[in-house]
Amino acid sequence: MARRSPTRARGGKVAPTPKPPPVGQKKGGTGLLSWTWAAVGLAVVLAAGLILVSVLTGDDEPTTSEITPAGTVAGAGEVEQLLSGIPQDGVALGDPEAPVTLLEFADMQCPFCREWAWDAFPTLVEEYVRDGQLRIEFRPMAFIGEDSGRGARAALAAGEEDRLWHVVELLFRAQGAENSGWVSDELLEAIGSSVDRLDGGMLVSAAEGDETLDERIAESTAEADENGINSTPSFMLGRTGGELQKIEVSSLGPEGLREQIDALLRR
Amino acid sequence: MSETAARRATVALALVGAAVAAYLTITWAADVAPVCTTGGCSEVQSSEYAEIVGIPVAALGLGAYLAILATALRGGPGPAAIGAALAFAGLAFSLYLLVIQAFVIEAFCLWCLVSDALMLLLAAVAAFRLRAASPA
Repeated sequence: MARRSPTRARGGKVAPTPKPPPVGQKKGGTGLLSWTWAAVGLAVVLAAGLILVSVLTGDDEPTTSEITPAGTVAGAGEVEQLLSGIPQDGVALGDPEAPVTLLEFADMQCPFCREWAWDAFPTLVEEYVRDGQLRIEFRPMAFIGEDSGRGARAALAAGEEDRLWHVVELLFRAQGAENSGWVSDELLEAIGSSVDRLDGGMLVSAAEGDETLDERIAESTAEADENGINSTPSFMLGRTGGELQKIEVSSLGPEGLREQIDALLRR
Repeated sequence: MSETAARRATVALALVGAAVAAYLTITWAADVAPVCTTGGCSEVQSSEYAEIVGIPVAALGLGAYLAILATALRGGPGPAAIGAALAFAGLAFSLYLLVIQAFVIEAFCLWCLVSDALMLLLAAVAAFRLRAASPA
Protein backbone atom coordinates (compact mmCIF):
# COMPACT_ATOMS: atom_id res chain seq x y z
CA MET A 1 0.00 0.00 0.00
CA ALA A 2 1.32 3.47 -0.88
CA ARG A 3 2.35 5.74 1.93
CA ARG A 4 1.18 9.30 2.16
CA SER A 5 3.90 11.89 1.88
CA PRO A 6 3.37 15.20 3.72
CA THR A 7 4.16 17.46 0.78
CA ARG A 8 1.37 19.95 1.47
CA ALA A 9 1.18 21.94 4.71
CA ARG A 10 -2.03 23.21 6.31
CA GLY A 11 -3.58 26.17 4.50
CA GLY A 12 -2.65 24.83 1.09
CA LYS A 13 0.88 26.13 1.07
CA VAL A 14 3.41 23.86 -0.49
CA ALA A 15 5.96 22.75 2.05
CA PRO A 16 9.43 21.56 1.24
CA THR A 17 9.38 17.87 0.40
CA PRO A 18 11.11 16.05 3.25
CA LYS A 19 13.62 13.34 2.65
CA PRO A 20 11.79 9.96 2.73
CA PRO A 21 12.53 8.14 5.96
CA PRO A 22 14.01 4.65 5.90
CA VAL A 23 11.58 1.75 5.88
CA GLY A 24 10.20 1.10 9.34
CA GLN A 25 11.03 4.54 10.69
CA LYS A 26 8.19 6.62 12.00
CA LYS A 27 7.36 9.46 9.69
CA GLY A 28 4.00 10.86 10.85
CA GLY A 29 0.60 10.98 9.11
CA THR A 30 -1.99 8.22 8.94
CA GLY A 31 0.38 5.26 8.39
CA LEU A 32 -0.85 3.19 11.32
CA LEU A 33 -4.46 3.59 10.27
CA SER A 34 -3.69 2.61 6.66
CA TRP A 35 -1.76 -0.50 7.63
CA THR A 36 -4.38 -1.48 10.19
CA TRP A 37 -7.17 -1.20 7.63
CA ALA A 38 -5.10 -3.19 5.16
CA ALA A 39 -4.53 -5.94 7.73
CA VAL A 40 -8.16 -6.02 8.85
CA GLY A 41 -9.41 -6.01 5.26
CA LEU A 42 -7.17 -8.90 4.28
CA ALA A 43 -8.12 -10.79 7.44
CA VAL A 44 -11.84 -10.37 6.74
CA VAL A 45 -11.41 -11.65 3.17
CA LEU A 46 -9.33 -14.65 4.31
CA ALA A 47 -11.58 -15.59 7.23
CA ALA A 48 -14.81 -15.09 5.30
CA GLY A 49 -13.52 -17.25 2.45
CA LEU A 50 -12.46 -20.06 4.77
CA ILE A 51 -15.66 -20.01 6.79
CA LEU A 52 -17.82 -19.90 3.66
CA VAL A 53 -16.07 -22.91 2.12
CA SER A 54 -16.21 -24.78 5.45
CA VAL A 55 -19.95 -24.12 5.85
CA LEU A 56 -20.67 -25.17 2.27
CA THR A 57 -18.62 -28.36 2.44
CA GLY A 58 -19.34 -29.30 6.08
CA ASP A 59 -23.04 -29.98 5.63
CA ASP A 60 -24.96 -33.18 6.29
CA GLU A 61 -23.51 -35.71 3.92
CA PRO A 62 -22.25 -38.28 6.37
CA THR A 63 -22.41 -41.23 4.04
CA THR A 64 -20.02 -39.77 1.56
CA SER A 65 -17.91 -37.53 3.79
CA GLU A 66 -16.98 -40.48 6.01
CA ILE A 67 -15.64 -42.39 3.05
CA THR A 68 -12.07 -41.68 2.07
CA PRO A 69 -10.96 -41.35 -1.55
CA ALA A 70 -9.36 -44.79 -1.16
CA GLY A 71 -12.81 -46.30 -0.50
CA THR A 72 -12.15 -47.02 3.17
CA VAL A 73 -13.98 -45.43 6.07
CA ALA A 74 -12.72 -42.65 8.35
CA GLY A 75 -11.60 -43.85 11.77
CA ALA A 76 -10.86 -47.42 10.70
CA GLY A 77 -7.24 -47.20 11.84
CA GLU A 78 -8.25 -45.83 15.19
CA VAL A 79 -10.86 -48.54 15.73
CA GLU A 80 -8.39 -51.24 14.72
CA GLN A 81 -5.87 -49.79 17.17
CA LEU A 82 -8.50 -49.81 19.94
CA LEU A 83 -9.72 -53.37 19.35
CA SER A 84 -6.53 -55.02 18.16
CA GLY A 85 -5.59 -58.10 20.16
CA ILE A 86 -8.90 -58.28 22.04
CA PRO A 87 -10.89 -61.47 21.40
CA GLN A 88 -14.31 -61.15 19.80
CA ASP A 89 -16.88 -63.90 19.58
CA GLY A 90 -20.13 -62.98 17.87
CA VAL A 91 -21.62 -60.13 19.90
CA ALA A 92 -19.04 -60.46 22.70
CA LEU A 93 -15.85 -58.50 23.17
CA GLY A 94 -13.17 -59.54 25.61
CA ASP A 95 -11.91 -62.54 27.49
CA PRO A 96 -14.74 -65.07 27.96
CA GLU A 97 -13.30 -65.72 31.43
CA ALA A 98 -13.45 -62.04 32.43
CA PRO A 99 -15.04 -61.77 35.90
CA VAL A 100 -17.53 -59.04 34.94
CA THR A 101 -19.96 -58.86 32.02
CA LEU A 102 -21.64 -55.73 30.63
CA LEU A 103 -24.54 -55.82 28.17
CA GLU A 104 -25.05 -52.75 26.02
CA PHE A 105 -28.45 -52.20 24.43
CA ALA A 106 -28.04 -49.71 21.60
CA ASP A 107 -29.64 -48.40 18.42
CA MET A 108 -27.16 -47.43 15.74
CA GLN A 109 -29.09 -44.18 15.17
CA CYS A 110 -29.23 -43.16 18.82
CA PRO A 111 -27.05 -40.07 19.39
CA PHE A 112 -26.51 -40.89 23.07
CA CYS A 113 -25.27 -44.34 22.09
CA ARG A 114 -22.81 -42.60 19.80
CA GLU A 115 -21.76 -40.36 22.68
CA TRP A 116 -21.19 -43.37 24.90
CA ALA A 117 -19.24 -45.06 22.10
CA TRP A 118 -17.04 -41.97 21.86
CA ASP A 119 -16.64 -41.01 25.49
CA ALA A 120 -16.85 -44.22 27.52
CA PHE A 121 -16.22 -47.26 25.35
CA PRO A 122 -12.57 -46.62 24.41
CA THR A 123 -11.62 -45.92 28.02
CA LEU A 124 -13.46 -48.98 29.33
CA VAL A 125 -11.76 -51.12 26.70
CA GLU A 126 -8.32 -49.84 27.70
CA GLU A 127 -8.94 -49.95 31.45
CA TYR A 128 -10.92 -53.17 31.84
CA VAL A 129 -11.45 -55.19 28.66
CA ARG A 130 -7.90 -55.31 27.39
CA ASP A 131 -6.54 -56.84 30.58
CA GLY A 132 -9.34 -59.37 30.89
CA GLN A 133 -11.41 -57.85 33.70
CA LEU A 134 -14.51 -57.04 31.68
CA ARG A 135 -16.33 -58.48 28.68
CA ILE A 136 -18.98 -56.54 26.81
CA GLU A 137 -21.88 -57.99 24.82
CA PHE A 138 -23.83 -56.00 22.26
CA ARG A 139 -27.61 -56.11 22.11
CA PRO A 140 -28.83 -54.45 18.91
CA MET A 141 -32.07 -52.50 19.01
CA ALA A 142 -33.82 -51.05 15.97
CA PHE A 143 -36.65 -48.79 16.99
CA ILE A 144 -35.69 -45.42 15.48
CA GLY A 145 -36.16 -46.33 11.85
CA GLU A 146 -34.90 -47.90 8.65
CA ASP A 147 -31.23 -47.10 9.21
CA SER A 148 -31.40 -48.65 12.70
CA GLY A 149 -32.31 -52.02 11.20
CA ARG A 150 -29.75 -51.76 8.42
CA GLY A 151 -27.00 -50.90 10.90
CA ALA A 152 -28.02 -53.60 13.39
CA ARG A 153 -28.14 -56.29 10.68
CA ALA A 154 -24.76 -55.24 9.28
CA ALA A 155 -23.25 -55.36 12.78
CA LEU A 156 -24.71 -58.80 13.50
CA ALA A 157 -23.48 -60.08 10.14
CA ALA A 158 -20.00 -58.83 11.02
CA GLY A 159 -20.36 -60.76 14.26
CA GLU A 160 -20.38 -63.94 12.21
CA GLU A 161 -16.78 -63.05 11.40
CA ASP A 162 -16.10 -61.86 14.98
CA ARG A 163 -15.88 -58.27 13.83
CA LEU A 164 -19.15 -56.90 15.23
CA TRP A 165 -17.46 -54.35 17.46
CA HIS A 166 -15.45 -52.95 14.56
CA VAL A 167 -18.66 -52.31 12.62
CA VAL A 168 -20.53 -50.93 15.64
CA GLU A 169 -17.76 -48.44 16.38
CA LEU A 170 -17.36 -47.41 12.74
CA LEU A 171 -21.09 -46.95 12.27
CA PHE A 172 -21.31 -44.78 15.37
CA ARG A 173 -18.45 -42.67 14.02
CA ALA A 174 -20.32 -42.25 10.74
CA GLN A 175 -23.73 -41.69 12.31
CA GLY A 176 -25.85 -39.31 10.27
CA ALA A 177 -29.24 -37.64 10.59
CA GLU A 178 -32.06 -39.99 11.61
CA ASN A 179 -33.43 -42.07 8.75
CA SER A 180 -31.56 -40.06 6.14
CA GLY A 181 -30.25 -43.20 4.49
CA TRP A 182 -26.84 -42.73 6.08
CA VAL A 183 -26.31 -46.51 6.51
CA SER A 184 -25.81 -46.56 2.78
CA ASP A 185 -24.42 -49.34 0.63
CA GLU A 186 -21.38 -47.12 -0.02
CA LEU A 187 -20.69 -46.74 3.70
CA LEU A 188 -21.02 -50.48 4.31
CA GLU A 189 -18.79 -51.24 1.32
CA ALA A 190 -16.19 -48.86 2.75
CA ILE A 191 -16.41 -50.50 6.17
CA GLY A 192 -16.03 -53.88 4.53
CA SER A 193 -12.91 -52.64 2.77
CA SER A 194 -11.49 -51.22 6.00
CA VAL A 195 -11.80 -54.18 8.35
CA ASP A 196 -10.03 -57.48 7.86
CA ARG A 197 -12.19 -60.60 7.48
CA LEU A 198 -15.13 -58.47 6.32
CA ASP A 199 -16.60 -58.20 2.87
CA GLY A 200 -18.56 -55.13 1.85
CA GLY A 201 -20.97 -57.12 -0.28
CA MET A 202 -21.83 -59.36 2.66
CA LEU A 203 -22.57 -56.34 4.88
CA VAL A 204 -24.74 -54.75 2.18
CA SER A 205 -26.63 -57.98 1.63
CA ALA A 206 -27.25 -58.41 5.37
CA ALA A 207 -28.36 -54.79 5.78
CA GLU A 208 -30.90 -55.11 2.99
CA GLY A 209 -32.74 -57.84 4.84
CA ASP A 210 -32.13 -61.12 6.57
CA GLU A 211 -34.78 -63.01 8.46
CA THR A 212 -32.34 -64.69 10.81
CA LEU A 213 -30.71 -61.41 11.75
CA ASP A 214 -34.11 -59.77 12.24
CA GLU A 215 -35.00 -62.59 14.64
CA ARG A 216 -31.86 -61.87 16.64
CA ILE A 217 -32.77 -58.18 16.83
CA ALA A 218 -36.23 -59.21 18.01
CA GLU A 219 -34.61 -61.39 20.69
CA SER A 220 -32.57 -58.43 21.92
CA THR A 221 -35.70 -56.29 22.00
CA ALA A 222 -37.54 -58.98 23.96
CA GLU A 223 -34.64 -59.22 26.42
CA ALA A 224 -34.76 -55.46 26.84
CA ASP A 225 -38.52 -55.56 27.46
CA GLU A 226 -38.15 -58.32 30.04
CA ASN A 227 -35.69 -56.20 31.95
CA GLY A 228 -37.65 -52.96 31.77
CA ILE A 229 -35.33 -51.38 29.25
CA ASN A 230 -37.08 -48.86 27.04
CA SER A 231 -34.34 -46.45 26.00
CA THR A 232 -30.84 -46.56 24.64
CA PRO A 233 -28.12 -46.80 25.56
CA SER A 234 -29.07 -49.06 28.45
CA PHE A 235 -26.86 -51.44 30.32
CA MET A 236 -26.96 -54.60 32.38
CA LEU A 237 -24.01 -55.51 34.53
CA GLY A 238 -22.97 -58.35 36.77
CA ARG A 239 -20.50 -61.10 37.57
CA THR A 240 -19.95 -63.32 34.53
CA GLY A 241 -22.14 -66.41 34.78
CA GLY A 242 -24.32 -64.80 37.43
CA GLU A 243 -27.45 -62.72 37.17
CA LEU A 244 -27.00 -59.40 35.41
CA GLN A 245 -28.84 -56.35 36.69
CA LYS A 246 -30.12 -53.34 34.79
CA ILE A 247 -28.07 -50.38 35.90
CA GLU A 248 -28.41 -46.62 35.64
CA VAL A 249 -25.33 -44.73 34.51
CA SER A 250 -24.53 -41.40 36.08
CA SER A 251 -23.04 -40.10 32.84
CA LEU A 252 -22.18 -41.23 29.32
CA GLY A 253 -18.48 -40.99 30.11
CA PRO A 254 -16.37 -43.83 31.55
CA GLU A 255 -16.95 -42.52 35.07
CA GLY A 256 -20.62 -43.45 34.64
CA LEU A 257 -19.75 -47.14 34.97
CA ARG A 258 -16.35 -47.24 36.64
CA GLU A 259 -17.60 -47.32 40.22
CA GLN A 260 -20.05 -50.16 39.54
CA ILE A 261 -17.51 -52.23 37.63
CA ASP A 262 -14.90 -51.71 40.35
CA ALA A 263 -17.41 -52.78 43.00
CA LEU A 264 -18.10 -56.03 41.15
CA LEU A 265 -14.39 -56.67 40.64
CA ARG A 266 -13.79 -56.37 44.41
CA ARG A 267 -16.30 -59.15 45.16
CA MET B 1 5.92 -3.45 23.42
CA SER B 2 8.68 -2.70 20.88
CA GLU B 3 8.55 -4.11 17.38
CA THR B 4 11.53 -6.36 18.10
CA ALA B 5 9.91 -7.76 21.23
CA ALA B 6 6.66 -8.33 19.33
CA ARG B 7 8.50 -10.14 16.55
CA ARG B 8 10.26 -12.38 19.05
CA ALA B 9 6.98 -13.17 20.78
CA THR B 10 5.43 -13.91 17.38
CA VAL B 11 8.23 -16.35 16.52
CA ALA B 12 7.86 -18.16 19.84
CA LEU B 13 4.05 -18.41 19.68
CA ALA B 14 4.05 -19.40 16.01
CA LEU B 15 6.58 -22.17 16.67
CA VAL B 16 4.42 -23.64 19.42
CA GLY B 17 1.32 -23.29 17.23
CA ALA B 18 3.08 -24.97 14.31
CA ALA B 19 4.08 -27.87 16.57
CA VAL B 20 0.47 -28.34 17.74
CA ALA B 21 -0.87 -28.12 14.17
CA ALA B 22 1.81 -30.51 12.90
CA TYR B 23 0.87 -33.06 15.57
CA LEU B 24 -2.81 -32.85 14.62
CA THR B 25 -1.95 -33.09 10.92
CA ILE B 26 0.13 -36.21 11.52
CA THR B 27 -2.58 -37.91 13.61
CA TRP B 28 -5.17 -36.99 10.96
CA ALA B 29 -3.03 -38.44 8.17
CA ALA B 30 -2.25 -41.60 10.18
CA ASP B 31 -5.93 -41.89 11.20
CA VAL B 32 -5.05 -42.37 14.86
CA ALA B 33 -6.46 -40.68 17.93
CA PRO B 34 -4.54 -37.72 19.32
CA VAL B 35 -3.64 -37.86 22.99
CA CYS B 36 -6.66 -36.19 24.50
CA THR B 37 -7.86 -35.32 27.98
CA THR B 38 -11.08 -33.60 26.90
CA GLY B 39 -12.37 -36.80 25.28
CA GLY B 40 -13.58 -35.21 22.06
CA CYS B 41 -10.43 -35.01 19.94
CA SER B 42 -11.29 -38.04 17.81
CA GLU B 43 -14.82 -36.83 17.26
CA VAL B 44 -13.65 -33.39 16.19
CA GLN B 45 -10.81 -34.77 14.07
CA SER B 46 -13.10 -37.14 12.19
CA SER B 47 -15.93 -34.66 11.68
CA GLU B 48 -16.77 -33.12 8.32
CA TYR B 49 -15.40 -29.84 9.64
CA ALA B 50 -11.90 -31.27 10.11
CA GLU B 51 -11.15 -30.69 6.46
CA ILE B 52 -11.90 -28.13 3.78
CA VAL B 53 -12.07 -29.37 0.19
CA GLY B 54 -9.96 -32.35 1.19
CA ILE B 55 -7.32 -30.36 3.03
CA PRO B 56 -7.17 -31.05 6.77
CA VAL B 57 -7.87 -27.95 8.83
CA ALA B 58 -4.85 -28.86 10.95
CA ALA B 59 -2.65 -28.57 7.84
CA LEU B 60 -4.19 -25.17 7.06
CA GLY B 61 -3.35 -24.16 10.61
CA LEU B 62 0.20 -25.40 10.19
CA GLY B 63 0.52 -23.30 7.03
CA ALA B 64 -0.90 -20.26 8.81
CA TYR B 65 1.50 -20.56 11.75
CA LEU B 66 4.48 -20.96 9.43
CA ALA B 67 3.38 -17.97 7.35
CA ILE B 68 2.99 -15.84 10.49
CA LEU B 69 6.42 -17.04 11.59
CA ALA B 70 7.86 -16.00 8.22
CA THR B 71 6.43 -12.48 8.54
CA ALA B 72 8.19 -12.09 11.88
CA LEU B 73 11.58 -12.64 10.27
CA ARG B 74 11.44 -9.17 8.70
CA GLY B 75 10.74 -5.81 10.27
CA GLY B 76 8.60 -2.98 8.95
CA PRO B 77 4.93 -2.25 8.53
CA GLY B 78 4.39 -4.50 5.48
CA PRO B 79 5.36 -7.80 7.12
CA ALA B 80 3.64 -6.66 10.32
CA ALA B 81 0.40 -5.99 8.43
CA ILE B 82 0.53 -9.35 6.66
CA GLY B 83 1.27 -11.09 9.96
CA ALA B 84 -1.62 -9.26 11.59
CA ALA B 85 -3.97 -10.14 8.73
CA LEU B 86 -3.07 -13.83 9.05
CA ALA B 87 -3.40 -13.78 12.83
CA PHE B 88 -6.74 -11.93 12.76
CA ALA B 89 -8.07 -14.29 10.08
CA GLY B 90 -6.76 -17.27 12.07
CA LEU B 91 -8.48 -15.98 15.19
CA ALA B 92 -11.78 -15.46 13.35
CA PHE B 93 -11.63 -18.96 11.86
CA SER B 94 -10.67 -20.40 15.27
CA LEU B 95 -13.74 -18.77 16.81
CA TYR B 96 -15.89 -20.24 14.04
CA LEU B 97 -14.46 -23.71 14.73
CA LEU B 98 -15.03 -23.22 18.46
CA VAL B 99 -18.72 -22.55 17.77
CA ILE B 100 -18.84 -25.66 15.55
CA GLN B 101 -17.29 -27.74 18.34
CA ALA B 102 -19.70 -26.39 20.93
CA PHE B 103 -22.98 -26.50 19.03
CA VAL B 104 -22.61 -28.83 16.04
CA ILE B 105 -20.13 -31.54 17.03
CA GLU B 106 -20.81 -31.06 20.74
CA ALA B 107 -17.30 -32.13 21.66
CA PHE B 108 -14.11 -30.23 22.30
CA CYS B 109 -10.63 -31.06 21.10
CA LEU B 110 -7.96 -30.14 23.63
CA TRP B 111 -5.38 -29.42 20.95
CA CYS B 112 -7.79 -27.19 19.08
CA LEU B 113 -8.41 -25.22 22.28
CA VAL B 114 -4.66 -24.83 22.76
CA SER B 115 -4.37 -23.62 19.17
CA ASP B 116 -7.27 -21.18 19.73
CA ALA B 117 -5.46 -19.70 22.73
CA LEU B 118 -2.21 -19.40 20.75
CA MET B 119 -4.01 -17.69 17.87
CA LEU B 120 -5.62 -15.25 20.31
CA LEU B 121 -2.21 -14.39 21.75
CA LEU B 122 -0.72 -14.09 18.26
CA ALA B 123 -3.48 -11.70 17.22
CA ALA B 124 -2.89 -9.55 20.29
CA VAL B 125 0.87 -9.51 19.71
CA ALA B 126 0.28 -8.77 16.00
CA ALA B 127 -1.78 -5.71 16.93
CA PHE B 128 1.05 -4.41 19.14
CA ARG B 129 3.59 -5.24 16.45
CA LEU B 130 1.62 -3.41 13.76
CA ARG B 131 1.32 -0.36 16.01
CA ALA B 132 5.04 -0.39 16.75
CA ALA B 133 6.08 -0.94 13.14
CA SER B 134 3.72 1.50 11.44
CA PRO B 135 4.37 5.20 10.95
CA ALA B 136 2.60 6.96 13.82
